[in-house]
Amino acid sequence: MKQYIIRRLLQIIPTLIGISIIIFAISSLVPGDYITAVDNPTMTAEKAAQLREIYGLDKPPVERYFTWVGNMLKGNLGDSLVHKQPVTTVMNNYVWNSFFIAIFALIFSWIIATFAGVFSAKFQYSLFDKIVTLVIFLCMSLPSFFIGLLFIKFFALDLGWFPVGSMKTSGLNGSTWDQLVDIAWHMVMPVTVLTMLSTGGLTRYFRTSMLEVIRQDYIRTARAKGLKERTVIFKHALRNAMLPAITLMGFELPSLFGGAIIMEKIFIWPGVGQVYLESINMRDYPFMLGFTVFISVLTLLGNLLSDVLYGAADPRIRLK
Amino acid sequence: MKKRMSLLLALMLLTITVLAACGGGKTAEQPPSQGEQQETPPAEGNGEETKEPPAEGEDAGQGYFKAEDPSANPKAALNRKDTLVVGMTAPKGVFNPFYMQTAYDRYVVDAIFDQFFALNGDGTYSNRLAESVEVSEDKLKYTFKLKPGVTYSNGDPVTVKDYAFAMKVYHDKSYDGQSDLLSVHIKGGKEYNEGKADDISGIKVIDDNTIEIEVTEANAMTKDNLGTVYFAPESVYGKGYKQGNLEYMKDLHAKPVGSGQYVLKNFSPGQEVVLEANPNYFLGVPKIKNVIYKTTTDETKLAMFQSGEIDMDMVTVNEDNVEALKEMGFLDINIFPTNGYGYVALNHKDPKFQDVKVRQALLYGLNRAEIVEIIYGPYANVINVPQSSESWAYTNEGIEPYEFDIEKAKQLLDEAGWVPGADGIREKDGKKLDIHFSATADNPVIDALIPIMTQNYQELGIKLTTETLDFNAIMDKKDKGEFEMFFAAWGLTPDPDSTVYITDGQQNDIGFSSPEYDAAMKKGLNAFDLEERKAAYAEAYQALNKNVPDLPIYQRRDAWTINSRLSGVDITPYKNFAVDLYKAEIQQ
Repeated sequence: MKQYIIRRLLQIIPTLIGISIIIFAISSLVPGDYITAVDNPTMTAEKAAQLREIYGLDKPPVERYFTWVGNMLKGNLGDSLVHKQPVTTVMNNYVWNSFFIAIFALIFSWIIATFAGVFSAKFQYSLFDKIVTLVIFLCMSLPSFFIGLLFIKFFALDLGWFPVGSMKTSGLNGSTWDQLVDIAWHMVMPVTVLTMLSTGGLTRYFRTSMLEVIRQDYIRTARAKGLKERTVIFKHALRNAMLPAITLMGFELPSLFGGAIIMEKIFIWPGVGQVYLESINMRDYPFMLGFTVFISVLTLLGNLLSDVLYGAADPRIRLK
Repeated sequence: MKKRMSLLLALMLLTITVLAACGGGKTAEQPPSQGEQQETPPAEGNGEETKEPPAEGEDAGQGYFKAEDPSANPKAALNRKDTLVVGMTAPKGVFNPFYMQTAYDRYVVDAIFDQFFALNGDGTYSNRLAESVEVSEDKLKYTFKLKPGVTYSNGDPVTVKDYAFAMKVYHDKSYDGQSDLLSVHIKGGKEYNEGKADDISGIKVIDDNTIEIEVTEANAMTKDNLGTVYFAPESVYGKGYKQGNLEYMKDLHAKPVGSGQYVLKNFSPGQEVVLEANPNYFLGVPKIKNVIYKTTTDETKLAMFQSGEIDMDMVTVNEDNVEALKEMGFLDINIFPTNGYGYVALNHKDPKFQDVKVRQALLYGLNRAEIVEIIYGPYANVINVPQSSESWAYTNEGIEPYEFDIEKAKQLLDEAGWVPGADGIREKDGKKLDIHFSATADNPVIDALIPIMTQNYQELGIKLTTETLDFNAIMDKKDKGEFEMFFAAWGLTPDPDSTVYITDGQQNDIGFSSPEYDAAMKKGLNAFDLEERKAAYAEAYQALNKNVPDLPIYQRRDAWTINSRLSGVDITPYKNFAVDLYKAEIQQ
């Protein structure tokens, strides 16, 4: 097992090199750079040339690539051109805000999806199953900006239950507890909308794998030996039905840190998604590349994690 | 079974759409009734409008619209007795006068730092930290006297040594901020920048409050450029400074120390900037104790006004937004012309655009009024000179308005030798008159411009083909000169000097050249008397108007919406709210 993990970790290295070449190539093929994106109406040509020299934008792409990779190996992702600060500082400023809503949305959507999936498989084609399916498809297919704005209209403006947006009330100087409550209050709407969007797909997964498991012989045996239906479903069937979910869990890892661009814009959540999008528009390559590499590393680690966990959970595919 | 399920699904979906339609009907019904309630106040309001701003009285599209029903103010706003919340796009956290680059970081810097001068509403400057300024006869020596007794928020006195230090930073070879003080031509500045000198020889500190600056070349803007350097304490910003090494500045972005109206209390990236009044401000303690800059987005600005979460914000000016804001009743709306203009660029290196008659025909033959009406309604106007109607340099005299006249356009094209071919497309020397338009994606202006332009030009016998590209891609094509026509907008500086249309000017990427215009612009830059400059720029704009370097389309409107509980907020196209924030008041 240890050997397997080490081997997989070593495999990550060439993959990462490939990824870094591709994203760097794409970024240097895209027309325009930070100076053109800023589009300062009073900037003289000399000033622009001077800035390009300081930022190293005047060098050939190959040289720039090696400087970038070299710095990255030393743990230096460079300075964001827009924020004028190290890329890691900027990421640290925003990533955690995205992480908080993503982790809560993840927890809620998994809990809801498990129960919804199990029951709609148990009572396949019943009215409950149909209603669940309908609701889930509705939530999945409504565009997020639409639900978001609808929520703001109903719950923030008409009913006044929740704030319109942002992460905390401006000018609130309470104790730490008050501030935490305030943040939680602001989180309700974005977390709800994110949960609505991601529950659908998961429920379908769980329903399908539950349906497969529920028809197997050992379930019939469990029932035949007189076990309670609850024990059969949640102890014997669910465990096996959850196996494919482990793979999904690994894929969720990058999305925890990746930010939700549209949601962040609508609820003015200070997450990393917007910052990332802006870095693309502003051709802020140090940040864009740094963050892309960060997400790629998380994706690769997530894959490794799900493979290892799957092996641990399912003896049938355990590696020697 | 399956069939039945899908049938059921379809049925349920149908009922839902019906329900949704009902819901839609209800919400659509409600607002008009709200509108009715407010119908009486608008009558008064209209009267006020015509009484109040006689400046642009005949124009319903701009001016200061007072709140009609201040009593409708939400509780959340009224409860904030000593705090002003200004909504804006998130500042980036570069609260460093040397490095800030977005307008939002500038709002923070303007509240925390001061300069010798402060901007007036009309784009001119008056003294702030400066007590007096003397300019030598030959305009090459500038002596600034600082007001005595001003201190920074850390207690250090403000002296002209800080100014001299700031100049060193701007001239440092590793300086990568956006300010360009090298173009002011301070004596010895270039040598310092190249590392050949340890000091800038043209800057002489006479005593703590007097400094003399010598330049090698002067123009009308030199004094303002020298007077608008932010004062930052050398004891903080100069600690560890060595020529060629400004790395340490990065750590100071989030910890600004200035002598200005407010001090930074807290910054949460992407959320808010909390400012607190500087109790020792030399012009008097700011009247509002706390000011918070809160992040907003276009999608939620209106909602946040309504819930009282913000007091001020800049809302995109269009008919829907203005109507919604007016309907809320408790908001003042200050609508003013944007400091910039939209235009269609033509590549003058392309032979077909080299004939002035063709360019004039393209302008006469384009229904600009219709385009502007579609995009902005009353909140924009067709322009004919590349200058804001608010500027002192703006002129109407001797300017041809190029009103839509397809016959005249046809006649001009005939005169230019482009005659209709067999397929109706005009030809000259065997070449068809087709124009390739590079359009920016997701741009409402493009969406309105292209159909009308295609139709108008088709009637003229011109074939218009369009391709849609990312903005940066078009800018790239522009830099390489590989384009025929594209739409873009220019932002304007308070001073009318610009290199956009000057022969081989740094920003003249369309390749336009007119000796007449060049001469007038030179005269304007080198004259020091305002009336003289006005005359010179009028001449310049007349030359442009005649030669049609590009197709000027519109000047639109910007607006700041301000809760009626505030007074004394001073905003013009040139001056942002932060410049004189200390004068603003909350009245309740």
